[in-house]
This record gives sequence, C-alpha cells and structure tokens, in this order.
Amino acid sequence: MTTQPRRHFHEELEGLELDVLGMGEVAERMLANAMESLADSDLIAAQKVIDSDDDLDNRYMMVERRTLELLALQTPVAVDLRLISAILHTNVHLERVGDMAVNIAKIVRVVHGLPVNQTILSHLAEMGHIAREMLRASMDALARRDIALATKLPEMDDPVDRLNRGMYREVASCAWDPQMLEWAIRMMVVSRQLERIGDHAVDIAEQVAFLITGEFREFTDASHPEVEGAG
Amino acid sequence: MGYDQEKESGGVATTGVTMKEVAEPGSIFGVHIEVGREAARDLPEIREIVFRLEGVSISYDGVEAVRSITMDVPANQITAIIGPSGCGKSTLIRTFNRMNDLIPGAAVSGRVFYHGQDLYGPAVDPVQVRRRIGMVFQKPNPFPKSIFDNVAFGLKVNGITDDIPARVEEALKQAALWDEVRKDLKKNAYSLSGGQQQRLCIARAVAVNPDVILMDEPCSALDPIATAKIEDLMRELRSQYSIVIVTHNMQQAARTSDMTAFLTTETSDDGDSRTGALVEFDRTELIFTRPGDARTEAYITGRFG
Repeated sequence: MTTQPRRHFHEELEGLELDVLGMGEVAERMLANAMESLADSDLIAAQKVIDSDDDLDNRYMMVERRTLELLALQTPVAVDLRLISAILHTNVHLERVGDMAVNIAKIVRVVHGLPVNQTILSHLAEMGHIAREMLRASMDALARRDIALATKLPEMDDPVDRLNRGMYREVASCAWDPQMLEWAIRMMVVSRQLERIGDHAVDIAEQVAFLITGEFREFTDASHPEVEGAG
Repeated sequence: MGYDQEKESGGVATTGVTMKEVAEPGSIFGVHIEVGREAARDLPEIREIVFRLEGVSISYDGVEAVRSITMDVPANQITAIIGPSGCGKSTLIRTFNRMNDLIPGAAVSGRVFYHGQDLYGPAVDPVQVRRRIGMVFQKPNPFPKSIFDNVAFGLKVNGITDDIPARVEEALKQAALWDEVRKDLKKNAYSLSGGQQQRLCIARAVAVNPDVILMDEPCSALDPIATAKIEDLMRELRSQYSIVIVTHNMQQAARTSDMTAFLTTETSDDGDSRTGALVEFDRTELIFTRPGDARTEAYITGRFG
C-alpha cells in the first residue's frame, strides 16, 4: 500500500487544474458563439457572449485566489510548483481570450445593419476556426501532458497570422463604399482579436512545455522572428 | 605559528579543482598532501572542493548504513543533505569530521578526501580534524559555565591564550549573539533561550577558526523565529566557512543551501535490511524546481509510498 503524505494538497491541485480546463471550455465556447453571432449578425447571440463573461471572470478570480492559497500554505516544489505556475499563467490567458470574444460580440452590435464583404467574413471565419482549434489543442496538451501537441501550436498559428496580415488589403478594397468601409475597418479589429487569441494559445502551450520539461522557452520571439524555438 | 595565519589564503589550481594552501605548505594535519591526483569530473563550474567522497560506505557492526556515496562538497557554499528518516544523513555528515570513529563497531570504506588529503589516512589525527571541522548538534549543548567561558573554552583547549576576550567577542559577533549577551557574559549559558544557546554553540565552533562547520539538524529544537535567525546566520557565515547541514526540513534546505544532496533508503531484496544511498546531488534551485531523478521528485513533492 502506498500512502501519499500530501494527498490533500495534491487533490486540491488536481481540482484547480480541472477548473482551469473547464475555463478553457468556457472560453472556447465564447469564441465559437462570438464568431457565429458575427456570421449571422445575431444581436441576441452577441449579447449572450457578453453576458457569459461574468462566469469566466468569476472562475478566473477563484482560480487566482486558490492558487495563491496553495502557494502560501503548501509551499509546492518541483512538478507541483511548475503546475501551479502553469495554472496561474493559463488562467490569465483564458480570461483574456474571454475578453476578446466579448470585444468581437460588441463589434457585432456596432456594425449591425452595415453592408458586409463576404471575402472578409470567410477569412474571419477561417481565422476563428483555427484559433478555436489552437485553444483546444493547447488545453488538450495541458490535460494530457502532451509535449508533441504543445510544440505544434506555433505551426498552427501561421495561417492565422497570414490571414491577419492580408486583412488590410481586403479592407482597402472596400474603400469604394463608405458604409462597407466602416464595417470593414471594424473587421480589422475582429481580425486582430483572433490573431491575439492564437498568440494566447501558443503562450498556454509554452506553459505546458515548461510544466513537462522544467525548462521555459518562448516558442516564437516577436522581436527576433528568425530565431524560432519550436522543435 | 600565529593563530590568524592558520586560515587559508589563496588557492592553487590543479586539474580544474583548486586546493587550498594551508598553514604549513603542503600539509593540513602535519601530513604531506598530494595535490592534484584527483581529476575533475563534470563539475557545473570550477569550484574549490572541500570534501571529495569516493565510493564511501559506512557500516555499524557489519550492517551497511550508507552505501557507495560519491560526491564533491564545494567550499564556501552551504550543502544540505536531505532524505527520509533512516537514509543515513547523520551517518554521512559524521564521516566529514570522523565522528563515526567514536561509535564502536562503525567502519568506513571508500575514500574521503579533505582538500585533497585522505581524511582517514593513518597519520591523520582525528582531534585535529575536529578542530578544523566544527560541528553543531540538534540539541544546543552549552557547557554549564558562563557564556564567556563557553566560547573561551575551545580556545584554551587549542592552546590559544592571547586576546581571549577579543576573540570571544569576535566569535559572538559572528554568531549574531553579541548584542544580546554583551552585558551578561558572566551569566550561566543555561539562562539563554534555546535559540540563543544554539547560536552560542555556533560561536564556540567558529571561535577556533575552523574551515568547515557541520550542522546536524541545528534548528529542529527551535521555534520559527530562532530558526530564521540561525538560517540568516548561516548565509552570513558562508563567506568564511564551508557549511554542511543535515535537515529533515526540506524547506530549510531550500531556503538556506546552495547545493542539495538527496539520500534515500534502499531495501535489500530479502526485505531484511535498509541502506542509505545518494540519489541526486545538484544545485538547490534545480533540485526544488526540476529534479533530475523521479525518486527525488517523489520525495520532495510528497508523492512517495
């Protein structure tokens, strides 16, 4: 028979991780709903996304508080310490992803009734789809301690970055119609939000790699893009 | 020979490991030292080595307590030895100043080098060893004498008769006790609190100007404030002395030490005997953030059976 001297602490830690994984699902659903409300110009769906942010924020605050309690009371070390560090970071990233979904939903309200451009909408839908996949992959990598999956994230992010860079040209092509241009400029912001969500997913994957290997490194370095650390 | 000159000065580089020059050139305990025979292994950085253990096993009445320990203890660092009860922590630390010699039936095999000299060589005097390698024990053990006499005693035993008051004051200052006792030097040491008594024992150890201070669970009888004072003091003393501490308080090892050795117990195949073995020895921050061995991780995170 094995007895674990720190069973209570480890149960708390597991519970905390499950809560963060749950936050990942909430954030992913918010993103999906925000993108649907954009595609359908659905104001009710957009409002639901905005309202659901309170739930995510409450979860965020609770994870933050309980993590600090474990740090103060249990002095975690080694893999436990790394997990707590990864949870703290992931918690912040997921809360930001929720805020970005809310930003998209607010834009849906603002642009309601304006003429739309289908090319831009389809590009945004593709970006939203990939960003969602990335978020799910990073959270799956955390849940399964899957280093191979975690290191795939920068690669998954490439098309999101590419579509975001191409958005300027698409928006400029709407200049002939002032109303559509107004809509398109708002869509630049949506594109930017989706690109940021992809970056948050990459950052979560970095935390997963740190948790597993004990070595922290950035997968990509914005200021030195030529030195990409992804293996 | 002048008392103050006994302290080491400078260093001589040999095959990556530096050996200290000591009182009489080429000798530590009046025995000739052969320097530089031991080639440096893959040390993380070139650092002066105080103790080098090579395949050291210690047994009591033929029963092996600690098996085949190989490690280098660096100078002017705090080296912590941690591990579960019965893993041989205290047995191991007692090999550093030949305290095991005092235990009937104890036998040490393998080799222990102190600044390159075989510590268990035939010409080495254990009493001289213990002067250069002081020890502080779990329970404060002052003599039933005045505070002053407690510190002066070791000096007199070692034949030092000049400047005794100044040396006592200096030792008490080094042990961060002077301000609390300067007006009460004639008081009996037993009138001090447990934490003060332990610092008095540290003052007694440093008074004779040792090279190494060994500490065997020095804070286990102390409250958190007294413990914090001793831990702070250890960091202060580190610049002048090499310190080895045995502790079963992992957080104390994490807080105070530069290097941590993790020992565990291995049960024999027939389940009849348990022997201590060194699992991992590395920089403390690595041991406590990403240990290299699964057994270390299991122990320090509390995931052991």
